[in-house]
Amino acid sequence: MMSLWRACLLLVVVSRGAMAGAREHVDPDTGLSRWETDDRGFSLELVQVLPDYVRAVYASRGLPQTIIDSVSSYCVFGTILKNHSASTLSYNAADWRYVTTDGRTHRARTKTEWVDEWQSMGVAFRWSLLPEQQTYAPGDWGQGFTTVALPPGTVLDLHYGWEQGGVKHTGIIKGVRCAPADIESL
Amino acid sequence: MRRPISNRCKHLASLCLVLAVAGLPVALPAQGPDLSHTLAPVEPPVTAPGFRLADMDGEMHALADYRGKVILLNFWATWCPPCRHEMPAMERLYRRFRDRGFVVLALNQWEDPDLVFAYTGDLDVFPSFPMLFDPQSSVSQHYGVKGLPTSFVIDRSGQVIYRAIGGREFDHPEILQILEGLLAGPS
Repeated sequence: MMSLWRACLLLVVVSRGAMAGAREHVDPDTGLSRWETDDRGFSLELVQVLPDYVRAVYASRGLPQTIIDSVSSYCVFGTILKNHSASTLSYNAADWRYVTTDGRTHRARTKTEWVDEWQSMGVAFRWSLLPEQQTYAPGDWGQGFTTVALPPGTVLDLHYGWEQGGVKHTGIIKGVRCAPADIESL
Repeated sequence: MRRPISNRCKHLASLCLVLAVAGLPVALPAQGPDLSHTLAPVEPPVTAPGFRLADMDGEMHALADYRGKVILLNFWATWCPPCRHEMPAMERLYRRFRDRGFVVLALNQWEDPDLVFAYTGDLDVFPSFPMLFDPQSSVSQHYGVKGLPTSFVIDRSGQVIYRAIGGREFDHPEILQILEGLLAGPS
């Protein structure tokens, strides 16, 4: 009977581990972190992006200062998604949630929301941000910035999901951190 | 535990920021996964939306000019790491098949020809296929492109028959086999 309880306990631990099973890597050159997870052929990677880097990317595209200031005021992650399963999958990052340590839930500002704002300013640029919705055939992948209105260094859990073969899957990456305000803060 | 970084690394990071501001090809924080080697069939095939765009020398190219050829249509930008990563394989593919009715058309998004010229000069192999400029990204919208790079294969009759989202190793045997089959078809 005791071994059955132990087996049940082990199962719970394994299940929780799978949910929060993202691996964190620290870049030895920059000190910045990235988190990667992989489940049923859907892989997700988040990379800390410094506000200065965001400013540089948008400034080098010749975008107006208001856009540069606005995007770089967000918590920005470089986000890489890939389908290395044998079937088509889709995701909708507009449904993903970012839960901070105070228990509050936040959502990302989507690419569509940014692009609509930029178009109202007469700017046709629509790249660099992760499309919030995509359908990936096997082998397809994409990357781009995701933006959440949170201060530098904020700790959060990302609750994400995707759909494959008519089945919705979910996962959590725990303890993700927004990039610091600058590289000196590392 | 976070480890402190050295001043040398801080200088390197600063240099990257300066290069990015200068518009030079600086990698995003992550290179992303390795390039894939699959092409997803477009079912049913759709007629490729036409366009007319300038190349680096200001010469105009229309999609209709290439009717009868098998076309690899690639949407890209210099700041996009996988776009840079897949460019040499596209050039190898072009050189391999260009005498058999194959062409690569690389549609740059948003950027200036001078910037792209500087960028291509920095590549190991200078692309010899047409680089076209889609400055307002209007063609990419007609093709439903959401992210870069995205590529399409158009057959000899002008139908879009394959799509690839994300970087590809375009001279991988699986892709070569698909293209061999298309090029063997009627012209």
